Amino acid sequence: MAKTFKFEIVTPEKVVYSNPVQSITAVGTEGAFGILADHAPLITELQTSVLVVTDTNNKSIRSALDGGFLEVMANNVIVLTDSCVMEGEVDVEKMRAEKESAEKALAMGGTTEVKEKAQAALKRANVWLSLANK
Amino acid sequence: MLSTREIKQRIRSISSIKQITRAMEMVAASRLKKVESRVVASRAYTERMHMVLNHLVSTLEKAHPWFAEKGQEVSVIKAILITGDKGLCGAYNNNIIQKLVRFMKAQSDKKVKLILIGKKGYQYLSKGIYAPAIEEYIPESVEKLGYSRVQAIVAQLINGYDSNAFGELHIFYTKFHTVMQSFPTSMRLLPIEKDIFESKEKSGGEYIFEPSAEQIINHLFPKFIETRLYQCILESLTSEYAARRVAMIAATENAGEMIEELTSTYNKARQEAITKELLEVISGAEALVR
Repeated sequence: MAKTFKFEIVTPEKVVYSNPVQSITAVGTEGAFGILADHAPLITELQTSVLVVTDTNNKSIRSALDGGFLEVMANNVIVLTDSCVMEGEVDVEKMRAEKESAEKALAMGGTTEVKEKAQAALKRANVWLSLANK
Repeated sequence: MLSTREIKQRIRSISSIKQITRAMEMVAASRLKKVESRVVASRAYTERMHMVLNHLVSTLEKAHPWFAEKGQEVSVIKAILITGDKGLCGAYNNNIIQKLVRFMKAQSDKKVKLILIGKKGYQYLSKGIYAPAIEEYIPESVEKLGYSRVQAIVAQLINGYDSNAFGELHIFYTKFHTVMQSFPTSMRLLPIEKDIFESKEKSGGEYIFEPSAEQIINHLFPKFIETRLYQCILESLTSEYAARRVAMIAATENAGEMIEELTSTYNKARQEAITKELLEVISGAEALVR
């Protein structure tokens, strides 16, 4: 078995995931990247995206992150994010509604601030839904 | 002396008060447990965030503008006050309000603008001489204030700070220690105090930053302020429930003592009435014999 390292996803509301894992694939602001054990120290910003973890049983676990930061330090990897859901825990109905209202807000137009917010909400909803539909 | 009937009535009303205070104590205890688990969860996030920032700040070449002390130039200070929405929790609300009032007196040469979280603080301050200082009142109940709402509040504050609308940001909250003990505390959120990032262990190895360290810190610092404010709100909420629980336990105990005392007065009064009646009967009988 490949070497493992400690991985955590933490939100202000709870510790979502905390287990030893074999690898992670995440999407940073500069593009997608993978992390294996003994990675060099790294701090990076993440996009609103799906993160894939391969755990010690070679099982892939997917989760959706609402942006955030990832730190690698001596085989300790931490993801700090505003919110995160694991695969199978997505509230599809709610996300569809959120997507619709964000689309409406975008169509209405308005200040750049409002637009940015709606765009972020739309992106979030899309990522969440993609996690649900695979 | 009260008549036995009056004493009985008082005992009845006090026992119903006792029932209410006991119920409130139990409600406070269960809420306390709930909010404690939220505190633990948020503490995990805050700790990790602190760790990451520690590593980041120690590698930063030039200090972030948020560290810059503005010193004498500061003419406007913003202060956030966190109180409860309800009373019946001992001196909890009063202690933190008094701390803020003392601070405002000490800063009388500067303009202090207030942001109030919690109904009690608003009720108190909006009636006094400090009413004009109130800039914003967050009407949501403290308990329901979620992380996303805190984010919105902080975003607005950061805008104000960056455009120099105010020079310092303070927060007044109640730090939770144990159920019996919590401390009214004030803390400066902005500018960020440098020594909180004094990293004790030098992080091993050079970090790779993606994108640059500056850019990451520009995005992480607002989050840091958010988590600190969120943590303060949760701590205050915990302190409030703890204070209410303690106050209600004391009230229940006091009610119990009063009932005991009244019961003994009632028994004495009853005994006296019987003695009096007996005396009347006996002296009546004696008069007949003569």
